[in-house]
Amino acid sequence: MSHYSPIAETCKHLILIIGALIVFLPFYVMVSYSLKSPKEIETNTGGFWGAQAPMVNQYCVKLGNPVDQCTTTPIVFNYTSAFNKAPLLRYLLNGVIVTLSIFIIQVIISMPAAYALSKLRWRGREAVFNLILFSLLIPVHAIALPLYLMLSKAGLVNTYAALVIPWTISVFGIFLMRQFFKTVPDDLIDAARLDGMSEFSIVWRVMLPTAVPALIAFAIFSVVAHWNDYFWPRIVITGNQNLFTPPLGLREFRGGADGSDWGPMMATATVIVIPLIVAFLIAQKKFIGGITLTGMK
Amino acid sequence: MRKILSAITIAVCASTPVHAVDIEVGYPYSHLFNVTFEKMMKDFSQQHPDINVKFRAVYEGYEEGTNIILREAISGNLPDITMQGLNRQAILVEKGIARSLEPFIAKEANFTKEGYHQAMLELGSFNNEVYGLPFSISLPVGYYNMDMMKKAGIEKLPENWSEVIAACQKLRANGVKNPVFWGWNITGNWFMQSLLWTQDTPIIKDGKFNIDNQEGLIALNTMKDIFRGCEMKNLAWKEALSSFAAGEVAMMYWSTSALGSVERAKGDFEMKTHEFPGINGKPKGLPAGGNAALLVSSSNDPERLQAAWTFLKFITSGVGAAAVAETTGYMPPNKAANEIILRDFYTQNPNKETAVRQLPLLREWMAYPGDKGLAVTQVIYDGMERIVVDEQNDMKALQKELIEEVGELLPQ
Amino acid sequence: MSYRVRSVFKQTVDYPHQGAAVFMVFPAITLMIIILLIPVLVALVFSFSSYSLGSNHFEWVGLDNYQRLFSRSNYQKMFSATFTYVAIVVPFSVVLGLGAALLIHSLRFAQDFYKTIYFLPVMASLLAMAIVWEFTLHPTIGLINDTLASGCDISWLYHLLTGSWYGVDPTNSWYGNGCMRGFPLWLGNKNYALWTVAFISIWQAFGFNMVLYLAGLSSISRDLYNAADMDGALSSWSSFWLVTWPMLGPTTVFVVTITMIRSFQVFDTIEVLTKGGPVKSTYVMMYAIYEKAIQQNLVGMGSAITILFLAFVMVLTIVQRWLVERKVHYS
Repeated sequence: MSHYSPIAETCKHLILIIGALIVFLPFYVMVSYSLKSPKEIETNTGGFWGAQAPMVNQYCVKLGNPVDQCTTTPIVFNYTSAFNKAPLLRYLLNGVIVTLSIFIIQVIISMPAAYALSKLRWRGREAVFNLILFSLLIPVHAIALPLYLMLSKAGLVNTYAALVIPWTISVFGIFLMRQFFKTVPDDLIDAARLDGMSEFSIVWRVMLPTAVPALIAFAIFSVVAHWNDYFWPRIVITGNQNLFTPPLGLREFRGGADGSDWGPMMATATVIVIPLIVAFLIAQKKFIGGITLTGMK
Repeated sequence: MRKILSAITIAVCASTPVHAVDIEVGYPYSHLFNVTFEKMMKDFSQQHPDINVKFRAVYEGYEEGTNIILREAISGNLPDITMQGLNRQAILVEKGIARSLEPFIAKEANFTKEGYHQAMLELGSFNNEVYGLPFSISLPVGYYNMDMMKKAGIEKLPENWSEVIAACQKLRANGVKNPVFWGWNITGNWFMQSLLWTQDTPIIKDGKFNIDNQEGLIALNTMKDIFRGCEMKNLAWKEALSSFAAGEVAMMYWSTSALGSVERAKGDFEMKTHEFPGINGKPKGLPAGGNAALLVSSSNDPERLQAAWTFLKFITSGVGAAAVAETTGYMPPNKAANEIILRDFYTQNPNKETAVRQLPLLREWMAYPGDKGLAVTQVIYDGMERIVVDEQNDMKALQKELIEEVGELLPQ
Repeated sequence: MSYRVRSVFKQTVDYPHQGAAVFMVFPAITLMIIILLIPVLVALVFSFSSYSLGSNHFEWVGLDNYQRLFSRSNYQKMFSATFTYVAIVVPFSVVLGLGAALLIHSLRFAQDFYKTIYFLPVMASLLAMAIVWEFTLHPTIGLINDTLASGCDISWLYHLLTGSWYGVDPTNSWYGNGCMRGFPLWLGNKNYALWTVAFISIWQAFGFNMVLYLAGLSSISRDLYNAADMDGALSSWSSFWLVTWPMLGPTTVFVVTITMIRSFQVFDTIEVLTKGGPVKSTYVMMYAIYEKAIQQNLVGMGSAITILFLAFVMVLTIVQRWLVERKVHYS
């Protein structure tokens, strides 16, 4: 496409802008409603920011408190409800604990295995590699049920262990690392061997530093997937709120059939969605590069 | 909310150097009961600073509550106390998850004096032993948006379903797009059981699914007539409640339980409740809705069990029951509450009295025998849904299908 | 040297790192067996039973569960819902992803801006977004129906959208009907529910495909276009068809497979928004497994659906592998 036509360019932008509006709509709704009072939400008024007129919190009145103690602005009401009605900070903390643990364990397990499969010659290598290829066919979500049964019999349901264990084996991670390690020149490894390094320390001292781009890509996939995972925690965590991950925390808010919970619910959704989005905006080139890298295989 | 409750209890506990016992409690329907428990805990923490109550994540509904308790029983992390739908107590008693309350009642000096009367205790009794103390009782009622009804020229509130359908036509002619919502999708097939009890028929008889008769067919046909005659929309119940509160639905048939929540959320229109319409004349019976508090603690620590019993008694006693009536539309199952604390309450809140007037019709909310109660509920739910969305118009065929499928799931 | 000694010697020479390698893959293999392979066997075993978690008796029922899967109308709806859903989501997400990538790739400026916006949904929690969409799609107070309803009062817009300006009876048109009787229940109407859920998934997923296609596009060398151009002025359409599309082959296979497997696994939106309804029109396989095995404690049935599900996914992945092999051989 060597010619440049301003009409064509404008058309492309027009289409893309319309698309962007549709894509962005829910984010707009979410943030806007987290700033509005129940009346404004029900009647769709108030623009983006909401009028921020003082509103009376009916729930608080029902509890027997005087009306003026129960009057506040919508944004304060929504966000304080979000953090008070349920331990939202705890949920966020759980999200961090769970995703971090999963990723660290995944790296510990997959790096050595990937190294052995790519850089070492040993008997059984082909067999193990085929086993890995076969396991790639089994998505963990598909076997959630038997996993749940097994964990239940082991008495591990409703624990951090249950949230983390099924994800510790990342066949995809092994595959990714192996592909990457194959591109590392052998001389580097031979030099390390000559220096007297054990194979094990070669993995962590030599391969790890060179694999940082692939690790970042792997981290992105892993963290995003497990921060947002709803299905598995839903099955495995029943009543113990202290173990709720952010999506489970958000779901709690849907119990409200009275309109006054819409605002806090949107505020919770905003709080849960913000961390990843902010991280993404800061490092978007790395993010997209990471996805691309893993996509190539 | 839980943080506030824990903060209150911790603050009160911290001020008295007493050894505190921890108990864990689970309850359903946050939009109904959050405010109730928050209100009760203030008094409870003052009277019992030595008991530390921790609330579990609120169950989405009765079905989910039962499912969670069953799973927690297997994985070994049951709470101490759980509120379960009246029709879901049986399976917990059967599996030995719920503990008999007789030993605790025996130790009480004046149990009946405190207002626990026989009819209410029956709702939580199995094999002549009390397992559950009823916490909140409800009955189906009709909610009416009087502004919309008057505008359409409807002066008298309907007494039977034919009158309801006639009212629908009038409302529709008057420009109302969504005249009625009939709560077919309420938990535990409660409304199906309502139509059957209206004809004095239980849904389970001798352990078998009892719709293979004239009454069953009439129930299905009544549903079909209402859905078709009123062109009722397939709203989820949460959507329906918020639609009614927003003034879009004129007549809503639902449990009286949501009354408190709807009153808090509704717009500026006059709302009245009225008796649940009958099929030919008044209903002969209606299933009791609501939940009971069960002791499911797996601990054997006598102190803990005693603390749990204290909490159980508190929430179902006069003060607790009064809080239930004040914050929701449920009826307190405690005589003391009714006679002592709430004497003027019903004159001030006539809408909440409708359910109380229907009390003589109270019947059992039947549980489905065997292990697969939740699956049976889903089958019947699916059947009713097919009528709502116009996918099933042959009620005789539907009747046969339901009998066959449910029969497979019930113990032979 | 004897054969024995020679082979041992050869082994130590050929495989000097045997010990280290085995040590390094051991944890991975153990976990793979425990977490991936054994559960498949467990599911297989249970699929031939009528087991319930917590019950103390275990009964074999042979092929009963599978028989029900292929005869009961609920399960027929399950298959139809799952396959319809996949058939809607995959083409749309792939085509939209490709379209967006092509448009953005050819822009002179603001590429990063569009890339960022279109990728945002992928990062956001699907559950949070599904709830926001649910609210936006609320039959009366949701933004979409509310906006549609306010158009009813603007007379020129009303006439335009109902087609009454060229003689159509307004109450017969979709819009006119909506104005009179209320706009559709996007999640409550069996004709719309699956499409609505599919729309939410496409909204979320196509950004991911867009990024993959952008990567693919940037790896196509300019020389190819120049070579094709040498035979005369090349229109955009033919340059796409002759150069871009074939070169994107492997990317397309990857994108299609990933999208397909992910759409088979849809759960979040269904559990939160429709619970398989209305009348099982969104009763996809993952939700059916959850409903049968976890909610209703019919583990045998849930296991049977699991095995079928696994079979579908495996077949899909193998077909993808095979297609990639073929493409590699061709190019």
